[in-house]
Amino acid sequence: MTLIEHIRAESARLAGLCTACGGCVRACPMTPYAAGVGAADPAAVAFGMRDLLRDGPGTPAALAWVAACTRSGICTPACPEQIDAAFMLRLAQWRAKGALGEAPRIPVKEDTQFSPKVKAFARLTLTEQEQAEWL
Amino acid sequence: MAVDHAVFWYGCNMTRHGEVIRATTRILELVGMDAAPAGGPASCCGSPKEASARISEGMARRTVTQFNESGRGQVVTWCPSCHMNMQDSMAPVTPTKFETVHVTEALWARRDRLAPLLTQRVEARVLLHAHHGFNGRVAVNDLVPALLRLIPGVTVAEHPYRSPGHMCSSLAAVPGALADAHRATLSAMSETGTGTLCTIFHSCHREAVALERHGIRVRNWIHLLAESLGIEAEDEYKAWRNAADPRAAIGEDRILAAGEVAFARLLEPELRKPPAV
Repeated sequence: MTLIEHIRAESARLAGLCTACGGCVRACPMTPYAAGVGAADPAAVAFGMRDLLRDGPGTPAALAWVAACTRSGICTPACPEQIDAAFMLRLAQWRAKGALGEAPRIPVKEDTQFSPKVKAFARLTLTEQEQAEWL
Repeated sequence: MAVDHAVFWYGCNMTRHGEVIRATTRILELVGMDAAPAGGPASCCGSPKEASARISEGMARRTVTQFNESGRGQVVTWCPSCHMNMQDSMAPVTPTKFETVHVTEALWARRDRLAPLLTQRVEARVLLHAHHGFNGRVAVNDLVPALLRLIPGVTVAEHPYRSPGHMCSSLAAVPGALADAHRATLSAMSETGTGTLCTIFHSCHREAVALERHGIRVRNWIHLLAESLGIEAEDEYKAWRNAADPRAAIGEDRILAAGEVAFARLLEPELRKPPAV
């Protein structure tokens, strides 16, 4: 199985279980940081998120909510269907970032200097032997 | 004492805190785990490239394969992001030949061996810097205080505040969120009368150390355990981040060893970054 296949399969499975009731949106501590979500109907936001999992375009509020997800995980115990809502949001975020090869629909903050920075810090804090054995 | 052979998968951004990698490895050894450290870009979970499943999968598959080939039966994780990615997207795609456990679980399971070794008194009344996120997978918000309470002299205050997210790096990417979390944390410290903020994760620690400018102490839970065990673990990153001149604090010889260009372009801006609050 590839990661793309895994994301597609899990998206379809969880979208099939989700009723878009909005319980996850109501529980989320990040909605104040997501433009338009506070004023939106939580069920409509959840509906838009579920649409992303079904290859749909989502809605502006749903995309803002998905983009603001920081993996708090409070949505999972809040789900009346006992879905792993946090993982569902993770799948939606992957898809909105264009992980399956589509154009990104939310900002992608990718640090192109990530690996060089990790290695440069290692040269400051690890001995040469530790770098050779641990990196 | 029976010894378990494991990989200590410390993640990527932990290279800022070499002393935490070193001390954690030593603590695991003391409680009977021969845990070989592995991390950095060569042992990546793939999350830095999550906008491309194809690239992320390649990085993750290489890491799982490497761990499988190590022949070690356990992978002890540090980073909550790595841990969750192993469960959510790595192991389901590339079958694993190892059990994944978080370092807090590994140490708590061996607390009978750990507790008698915690002989040095550490006077600290601490507030745990807790997040909501990872606690649903591994009960770190209970396990870390339980481990800290094994240290003579340490008291852990109770407070209901939990920061959003799974660690502070996720909040740092959302405008305003990290500053709000830090303000709430400082308020919780004031309400509990605590002088030490104890971080759990590396990305929280690197953001929180700048809060020392508010008159508090910031220490990671491994720093506290190490002190009680008599293990040297100087928090150099904190000293650099709070220095008026990080370059002078590090010293030119070490900067040259790290690479002058890399230091100036990649590290110095972070070390000179103003605190979130």
